[in-house]
Amino acid sequence: MDRVSTGITGLDKMLRGGLIPRRPYVISGASGTGKTIVAMQFIVDGLKRGEPCMWVSLDEPPNELKANMATFGWNLDHLKILDATPDIRMHKRTKSVIDVGTTLDVRDMEEVRDIRVSQQLRSMEVSIHSVQKMLKQEFFQHLERTKENYRRIAIDSLTALKMFSLVGVDSRIMIQSFIRFLSELEATCVIVSEHLDTSMIETEFFLARGMIRLHKWLDGSSIKRAISIEKMRGSGFDDKMRPLTIGPNGVTVDAAGKIPLNSTVVHALGSQFMEARIAEQVTVSIEKAFEMAEQCRRQGHDVSHAEMDLTRAMLMIQRGQLNEAMDMVERLRVNLELLLKPKSEVIPPPPAPEEARGI
Amino acid sequence: MITNKQSTGIRGLDKMLHGGLVPGRAYIVSGPEGSGKTILSTQFLVDGVEGGERVLFVALEEPPNELKYNLRVFGWPIDGIEVLDANSDIRRFEPTPILEISTEEEPFRFSQIKDEIRKTSDTESHEVTVHSLQQLLKSLFLKRGYSRVVIDSMTALRYFCMKDFEENISTQSFMRFLAESKVTTLLTVETTEAMEMAPEAFLARGEIRLYRVRDESGIKRFISIEKYKGSTHDESIRSFEITPKGIVVHAG
Repeated sequence: MDRVSTGITGLDKMLRGGLIPRRPYVISGASGTGKTIVAMQFIVDGLKRGEPCMWVSLDEPPNELKANMATFGWNLDHLKILDATPDIRMHKRTKSVIDVGTTLDVRDMEEVRDIRVSQQLRSMEVSIHSVQKMLKQEFFQHLERTKENYRRIAIDSLTALKMFSLVGVDSRIMIQSFIRFLSELEATCVIVSEHLDTSMIETEFFLARGMIRLHKWLDGSSIKRAISIEKMRGSGFDDKMRPLTIGPNGVTVDAAGKIPLNSTVVHALGSQFMEARIAEQVTVSIEKAFEMAEQCRRQGHDVSHAEMDLTRAMLMIQRGQLNEAMDMVERLRVNLELLLKPKSEVIPPPPAPEEARGI
Repeated sequence: MITNKQSTGIRGLDKMLHGGLVPGRAYIVSGPEGSGKTILSTQFLVDGVEGGERVLFVALEEPPNELKYNLRVFGWPIDGIEVLDANSDIRRFEPTPILEISTEEEPFRFSQIKDEIRKTSDTESHEVTVHSLQQLLKSLFLKRGYSRVVIDSMTALRYFCMKDFEENISTQSFMRFLAESKVTTLLTVETTEAMEMAPEAFLARGEIRLYRVRDESGIKRFISIEKYKGSTHDESIRSFEITPKGIVVHAG
């Protein structure tokens, strides 16, 4: 099966050729990492190939998007843009709030002028349901007009919808249904979304067939950017983080570049669980080593050095230097064991320490 | 000591499990997204197919056509695996009849799965609930006598199929149903960094946990046995890789 290019050469390389077509993917990352640009570049690549493409704007009004993207010099004239940004809410209780779905606003990017002004009498609210209805309507109208299906769709973004109009079990089911809907459209879709709560599984991340994550951090006084592929069903991929730059022509990814992972970056990537698990193992090791040291002391050995080292190992754990701590404790235990051996006839040795290496 | 343990199809994992899985029980395979849960579970089914057993894959999060495409890279004999498409349809918002997945629904062999995604019908919408799935599985287990089953995933079942049910109680009852069915079952569970223990992990007879850690050299994968009732097991975390032939565990 052919792959669909993301429009970013370095990223295609990381994906071993591109995305598997006709599936939904998620682009995630904190705000300002370049999610919208990456999504747009994917769309631009489609436009260049003459494929029908659609942009669903949920956060940014199309006129602003147009202005923001102008700096890259892409030709977006034939991009269909679906404006699903919500109106100013009417604060009066009124029955005339209508779903966006009933006023379908799809136009070519070249026709995008100014922000749509909220109407005085009716204000539009956006729900997953209305977006889905609009998409479906446009999809079939487009098919009738041109005898062609949309090949690429970008949804920018799901974050606002999740924050403002979706909560609870229903939201999961809504998003599940929405992802199913996108899958059945058989277009290659990218969904821009932020992971809001790390203790929760977010439905679109869980159901998307692939996840591309963008990173941004401060290195001294300059902003560094990187990209990583977190999941890609049905394909191998480059599992390293690669440098990403936003230049005058858009995003470029250096598929051969290296990112030195200092502890802050690792932390941001979230290996907390694993670290906790290793820390636990080292702590158990340290406790055992302390017991052994105590026995050595009772046998008249000087163990002040060993005790000092154990304190240092505990400090290392606090600083997150788990491997170093682990090595140190292991060495100590070997030494303490040697000290204990000669008198083992007199005092039974402590139970053999369990293998605590593991990593 | 139980001697007739069932192989997981992964030699290193069998070694960690001191021989394999105690048959007829439900086990959890947990891990974050992209850690290899689906691959591990499928490998378990492939081992069954190779031994001439009848096996079932219950697909709750991925359409079977995509699953089939994704698995083809491993070159396994998956054709004989039966797949139950338990993905809910697109939800209708208009008042059209929502039907619970019927107990007449049949699993198909991978060899019969089409390349295209199944389309939601215009007139009705099928919805999978924990209740309907349990009924369906019950009759399937009776009729077809599966020896291995994979539920992929338990997370999807909880998230999308328990709308009108109390989640923890439904999960418990579903696990109880599996226990009574005496089929060796792997249930995949998606975890996040900061998540508390899932109730299914508490109820299962064992938990195989997958880890995914990123460092300078890329993604490193680890596996551990967190729990295994009725058997001794390897206590350490071992590393594993997803190779072109599937999962290989380096069990020391």
